This record gives sequence, C-alpha cells and structure tokens, in this order.
Amino acid sequence: MAARRVVIVGGGTAGWMTAAALAKLLPGQCHVHLIESEAIGIVGVGEATLPHIRAFNERLGIDEADFMASTRATFKLGIEFVNWGRIGDSYIHPFGTFGPGTGAVDFHQFWLRLRQQGVAVPELDHFSMACTMARMNRFALPSRDSRRLDSTFGYAYQFDATLYGPYLRKIAERMGARRTEGRIVAVHRNPDNGDIASVQLENGERIEGDLFVDCSGFVSLLLGKALDEPFQDWSKWLLADRAVAMPCRTEGPVTPYTGVIAMPHGWRWRIPLQHRTGNGYVFSSQFLSEDEAATALQDAVEGEKIAEPRVLRFQAGRRARSWVHNCVGVGLASGFLEPLESTSIYLIQAAITALLELFPADRISPIDRDEFNRVIDLEYDRVRDFLILHYHATERTDSPFWNYVRTMEIPDSLSEKLELFRRRGRVVKYREGVFLDASWVAVYLGQRVIPQGHDMRADAPSAESLVAGMRKLSGEIQSIAGNMEDHAAYLQRYCPMKEAA
Amino acid sequence: MTATSMRDVVVAGGGLLGWSAAAALRRKLPALRVTVLPLAPPPDALADRIGSTLPSIIEFHRDLGMNDGDALLRAGCSFRLGTEFDGWNADRPAYVHAYDRYGQPFGTASFHIHWVRQAKQGAAAPFDAYSPAAQMARAGRFVLPDVDPESPLAHFEFGLALDPVRYPAMMRAYALHLGTIERPAGLASVNLRDDGFIDSLALDDGSSLSADLFVDCTGPRALLRGELDQNFEDWSGWLPCDRLLFADAAPTADLSPLDRCFAHGAGWRWVAQSPARTTHGLTYASRDLGDDEAARTLRRFASADPQTPVAIRQGRRPEPWLRNCVALGDAATMIEPLEWTNLHLAHSAIDRLVAMMPDRGCAPVELWDYNRQCAAETDRVRDFLALHYVASRRDEPFWRRAREATPPPSLTHTLALFEERGRLPFYEEETFSRDSWLAVLLGQGRTPRRVDPLIETVPAAQSDRAMAEMRGVLTRLVSSLPTHGDFMIHLQRQAAR
Repeated sequence: MAARRVVIVGGGTAGWMTAAALAKLLPGQCHVHLIESEAIGIVGVGEATLPHIRAFNERLGIDEADFMASTRATFKLGIEFVNWGRIGDSYIHPFGTFGPGTGAVDFHQFWLRLRQQGVAVPELDHFSMACTMARMNRFALPSRDSRRLDSTFGYAYQFDATLYGPYLRKIAERMGARRTEGRIVAVHRNPDNGDIASVQLENGERIEGDLFVDCSGFVSLLLGKALDEPFQDWSKWLLADRAVAMPCRTEGPVTPYTGVIAMPHGWRWRIPLQHRTGNGYVFSSQFLSEDEAATALQDAVEGEKIAEPRVLRFQAGRRARSWVHNCVGVGLASGFLEPLESTSIYLIQAAITALLELFPADRISPIDRDEFNRVIDLEYDRVRDFLILHYHATERTDSPFWNYVRTMEIPDSLSEKLELFRRRGRVVKYREGVFLDASWVAVYLGQRVIPQGHDMRADAPSAESLVAGMRKLSGEIQSIAGNMEDHAAYLQRYCPMKEAA
Repeated sequence: MTATSMRDVVVAGGGLLGWSAAAALRRKLPALRVTVLPLAPPPDALADRIGSTLPSIIEFHRDLGMNDGDALLRAGCSFRLGTEFDGWNADRPAYVHAYDRYGQPFGTASFHIHWVRQAKQGAAAPFDAYSPAAQMARAGRFVLPDVDPESPLAHFEFGLALDPVRYPAMMRAYALHLGTIERPAGLASVNLRDDGFIDSLALDDGSSLSADLFVDCTGPRALLRGELDQNFEDWSGWLPCDRLLFADAAPTADLSPLDRCFAHGAGWRWVAQSPARTTHGLTYASRDLGDDEAARTLRRFASADPQTPVAIRQGRRPEPWLRNCVALGDAATMIEPLEWTNLHLAHSAIDRLVAMMPDRGCAPVELWDYNRQCAAETDRVRDFLALHYVASRRDEPFWRRAREATPPPSLTHTLALFEERGRLPFYEEETFSRDSWLAVLLGQGRTPRRVDPLIETVPAAQSDRAMAEMRGVLTRLVSSLPTHGDFMIHLQRQAAR
C-alpha cells in the first residue's frame, strides 16, 4: 500500500497537533506536509484545556515536566465561575467527583436529601478534592489508587498556546513531517470527482495531496471556501461573537484553576500562566462595542498590562460536515464554540483521534467519512448544550444581554436535561460525552438550579450517619489538601519555565 | 420523604421476576410498602422461564445483598461461561461466545485487528482460541475469576443456570424476609381513574388492592399495563421465529458450563445444563416448520417429551412505563431466548425503576427518560440477536430470508463500519461488549474489507509470535483447572464446613 500524501493547511495548535499525531502514530502510512504562513499568525491567546489533553500528550510520548516548562504551563483543577447565577456568586466546576466517587447513588443525592430535610450541610464543593485544592491554591499529582481520596480528581493545563504549536512542530519534524512556508492563493479540484487535487502557493508552487486537513482557522480555506460546506449558525443561543484579549502581569497567587467571570454583556477569562496572566472579554457585539469592551477589560484586570487589547471576531456554530470529499476540517476551520469550558483544544483532539481511527488507506471510504462526521457532530452538540446551560440558568436581570439569554428558547435536548435535574437531581447519562455527571451537577447547583426532590435510594441511611460521614469526609479532604504543596512552589520545583529562546 | 413521595407499590406476578422486583424495591427503597399479587407466570413469560442467565445477574444479586454463594448453591444454581453456536455458518466450525476478553491488545491496535490480518493471510486459529473463558467452557472446566489483575483469568464474567423451582422459591423467601407483603388472590379486573391512572386491582376474592404504582410482571399479556394501551413495535421482520418448544431431560453428570445453540432448517435448537435438569429447546418459525414436525425433531434430540408449543410475538412496547404502571420482563419486551437476554433486560429495568423512582404523580419527563433508556438498551439487544441471523450462512429458505432482510438502521450502521475496517460503533446502554460483537461477527465468518492501518507499526511476524504464545499460555492454563462438576462439589464441601 502506498503511503498517503497528507497536506495540512495551517500551522497553529490544530495544524501542529494534527501533524505530530499523524507523523508519530501512522509512520510509513502517510507523508505529512504542513503549509503555514508566518504572515498570517495564529489565534492563540493562552489556552486553558481539559484533562483529555494528557492522553494526547502521552500518546505522543511527551514528557509532562518538559512540556510544561516549554509552554510556561500551570496546572488546572477546574474553572471558577463568578457572578453567573447572581452577581456575587462563585462556584467551581472541578475536574473530579463530589464525594468518594464510588457507590451506586451519586453523592450529591445524599447531600440534596439532607438539605431538603432542613439539615445544615456545607456547600457541595467541600466534598470535592479538586474544589478544595483549588480554593487553597494547592497541587499534587493524583494518586493511582482508586480507593484513596486523592485519586478523585483530574487535572489539565493552562499554557501559552503560541508555544504549544512550536513544541509539537519539533516532534512532527523529527518524525519526518515537512513544513513549507507560504500563503495559499488557489485550491485546485479534481474535475472528475470534486476532490481537492492541490493547493497553490503565492510563488506558483502546487502541492498535491491525497488527503487535505484544513487547519486554516476561522477562514476555513478548504472546507468553507473551496468546498463551500455550509455553516450551521448557533448564535441565537450563543450570542458572543467578539473577544478582546490582553495579557497582564500576575498579581497575587498563581491559581491552579481558570477564572471565568460573568460581565454585563458576556464573560471574562483569567488564565494564569507561569510568566503572566491571560485575560479576555468575550461579548456580543449586539450589546457592546469593541472599544467599550476593551475599556471594561482594562478596568477589570488585576495586574499591569503587557500588551494592548487585541480583538477577535467569530461566530458560534459548525460546518454541516467536518469531512467532505478528501478534506477534513480540524479546529476552527470546522467549527467554533466559545472557550467558556475550555473545549477548543478538546475538539481538535477529538477530530484527530477520529481521523487516526478512520484514516483512509487505498481510497476514502464514505462509510468512514460518515462515521467521522457522526462522531464529531455528537461532540459539538453536547458541548453546545452545556455552554448554553451556563447562560440560560441565571437569575441576572441587570442587562439586556442577560435578559435575552435568561428567557431565550433553548434546544429541546437541554430543556429535558434541565427539567430532569430540577425534579430530583438526575443527570441524563451520556457515556461518550466529554462532560461527566459531576460537571453538570456543579454547574446546575452553582447556578441555582435547585432540585425539588432527590433519588429515593438516598433516603435509606439515617440522617445522623450521613451527617457524620460527611463531616469526616470534608475533614479528610481538608487535611489531604492542606498537606499538599502550594501550586506555585510545585511548579517551581516540577517544571520551571525555560527562558525565552 | 415528602407528601408526594411514592408509598405503595403493587407487583403483579408471582414468578421469579415478580419476587425479584419486590426484593429489589424493598431492599433499596425501604420506605416503600410493597405487595406482591402472586399470579402464576404463564408459559410464554420467558424472563421467568429461561434458566440461562447473563453475568449481570451476579451484580443484581450483589446489589440485593445476596453475596452468599451458599444460598445460590442451595437454590440449585450452577455456573455458565458462554454459548457455543453451531451451524450458523454452514462452512465454518462452531464458535463460542463467552463473557471475556478475546486476546490482549498489543502495539497500537486492538487484538482483533491482529487476528483479522492473520486471517486474511490464511492461517488463523479460531478467534475464540484467544478467550480464556471460551477455552475453559469448551473444556468443561470452571474456576471463579482470579483476583490478580495480571492473570489471564482475571477478566471473565459468568452467568448462572437457575433451578426452575428452587430459585424462585429462594427469591420469594428473600423478598418476604425483606418485608414484602404477599396477597394470594387472583386478578378479576383493573380499575382505572378518570385520568387514566390505575386506581386499584379488583381481586377474585371480592377485595381490591390499590397502590401508587403498579409493576406488571404478568408476562406477554401484560394484564395491567395492557389496560392502558396496546401499542407494540413488531420485530418479526428481523427476528423471524414465532414458536418455542421445551423439553426437560434428566441432568447429566458432566454439567457443562457451556450452552449449545444449533442452527436448524427453520430456526435453532439449544441444550442448557443445570444441576436439576438438562433443558432442550427449539425455536422456530411456524411458516417453515409445523408444530408436529418440531416436536418430533426435539424429541429425537432430547430423548424426552416436548411440552406444548409456545407462540411468541417478538417486539417491545414503545412505552413500558405509562402513567402509574410499569411493565417488566415479557410484559415490556418479548424476545426469543437467543443469547439469554430475557431476564437480563428485566433486571436492568428493575435497577432503572429503583434508581428513577418518581413521585406519586409519575411526571411524564421522568417516565420519558426511563422509557428512553429502556428503548436504547432493548433495541441494541434486538440488534445483537438480529446479527446472528443477518450474519448467518445457510441455504434453507428461512435462513435466506433472514439474511436478506434489511436490518434495523443501527445494526446496518454497525455492520457497515465493521465490514469496512473492523471498527464497531458505540451506542448508549449497550448490553454486549465489543468482544461479544466480535465473537459473533468473526465467529460467523464476517471479516472487514481491509486491515486497519493502525496495526502497521507491528510486523505480521511479531503478531504471529505473540498470538501463538497467548494460545500456548491458555492451553496450559486451562488444562490445569478443575471440571465444572468438580468445582461445584468443591464449593459444596466448602459450604458444608
């Protein structure tokens, strides 16, 4: 079997993640050729990730400490949401479970039962290892022994996305990937079957391929422009279409979590890296001008700014299909969901994983292509519902923006989930979905979606035994977290950043 | 507990299913008052009748607090490791579907990709040669799974063969011990409220029985649930058999932990062993085989007289739970016993009922979620059974028709993906593991069009060596294990001490 010529259009995080994965994991089956233009630049504004990225890095044989030092990364135990349910509210969406994570009945059911009985029990996040560590700014790697409480959390990274691409580039090139510098001016299609035959650079050079991966970002050069795949617009639910980004010096502790603070017309991120803090205001241009947003952001950030505010424009939604003919869209070229739950890199990873599993051999099979699209659609749809929940489940009435999202019509798939949670705290099960039960529970409760009832099985134990058990549990969690190292000290010891080359 | 909490539950049905439901409700939701109306299960209530069970029964028992292997021994249970399918593809040897891993993954690809590559090159040992439990079952041997996770015998699961009399009796005793109330009477009629909920059951002794929730374990006629609606989704286009015939013979000494299913001209025949009896059964399509001929056939194999044939209509209720009445077992789903899913589906529904118990109002959104999960689970079980027919290869008209029927869309999708490159899609609420699907697909001679490129980092010679070694390890290991019969005697001795 002849090796496939894979042409990746666009560098950046999506392009180099794809190049490194294909070169490393399908050696001898594909020749990877990546085309990027330094003149175009990349979107990367500092990235917060989900725990799944660890599996990706591991598969590529990446050493964690080296990767973290190179990308100036910090650990991330979850996301703190501030001002979402009401102004003044704060909750953490943790990577990990509430309670010990074992047993047939979810921990939050016992907690709900006691509260509904009128028993005073602490907030749910006192029973989460990840929340407690985050609130205390502590970190340690989780234990592998599932019987231990310090195995009940996961973690991800916050890193400088402009450094992750180049880091992966080294791996890709070491495994034989080629890189060509240049801007693409034309896309040539095979007149017989409509496939992409080649892309043409400014200097006239044509690069031919069997499979094209579109990592060109929002412009969607191949999938959107050349193949004209329609875009499904989700902006009626996800209104945000602009962001202003601005890094600043870090004031105060380096938090092992991302901050997501609701603003009058959207929300603001706060991503602490080793050397600086990334900030940005995601908003809807229907309600706020870019200048107003930039001012609001500069007023809100804590540290001294390192660069001027930079504006990004986008639209929520995705291409109807991510794989069309012989072209696979990965990352922003295939769709965009705002980074509220740090899903951008996750969605890239999901596309790469599916592509590896469905990688074409002698010819592209429509069965494989359809399956790829089915898998990617599911991923996007589930993330979409979870994001809409954050906006819709609010009591805020302080701006037209919040009034709109609070009262808008939501997808049926989400109203059913909400209704089931309101009744007795049930989370609709999705085995393959990226966000597990605890994530949904954290956001529902954190945003004041309070169940009226609970799982009847939680009535079996006595209230006294439950209260005693909970007291013991939160005490143990406090004590384990209290014995962990400070996050900044851990980073300094484990993966201090390298000086800029 | 609040004013709207569920209080009173009536379970209609006095077979093992009714008593199992009552025991689970009492054990896990002790605030409920549970009354059983012990109507005798009819002969076509397969969840009550089929003695071969899937591994999920072990978990069901554990949840009930029945960890006591002793009780199961006294109830006449023995172990089962899987099923052998013979003649489903006339050109291929019999294969075993066991509840275990088939091979160990190595390199970057799943094990079955290595097997497929080897098979395409001509000389592969049977796929089930790589499944420890399948090999154990073929050899008639049995041990409990090894606690050492490194052991090849650490990962298999096993089901039970149930005693038709002692097991339901044990479950009844256990449910009563947990505080279930038994109300021995017959059912006269079902009284509905104006809003269509069931108000009460009129009994044949002139009394009545009211409750907040009615659980219907009365078999396919669904004496309670059937009063609310008769909607039914028919599966006969995919599962063509509509008759069952049983014959019980004396138990044999060897007590095989492997059930056997033989394809015949118009369906399939099975033999299942347990300490109390050897069950012979014949499943067939009345269109292709008359009842008399079927009886003659089964008598010849069983050396025992068949009972009256049972007519079945395969399919399910779109909404097993409507208003305050939930149908379990054959009242919800009627499916042939192939792969022994009848009681499994019922157990799974009991677990779901317990976990999702709503308030007395039975809010439609909660029932919707229950019905959605039941539907997802049941439809994939249907797909798995239909697979045995679609992937068959025999010449009789019955089999040709079965093979040529257009499968349900989810099965079509599964087959298309598999036949492209050996990939299997994952559905919500899947009962059977990927290895189970592979055991049947590869066992019946279906192979992917091409070998997944993920394997190419491992040279074929290296795969061959690793696979030969796996087989060698298993062969040596299995020959050192006790027979199933000896293992049972060993357990009984242990229990006696």
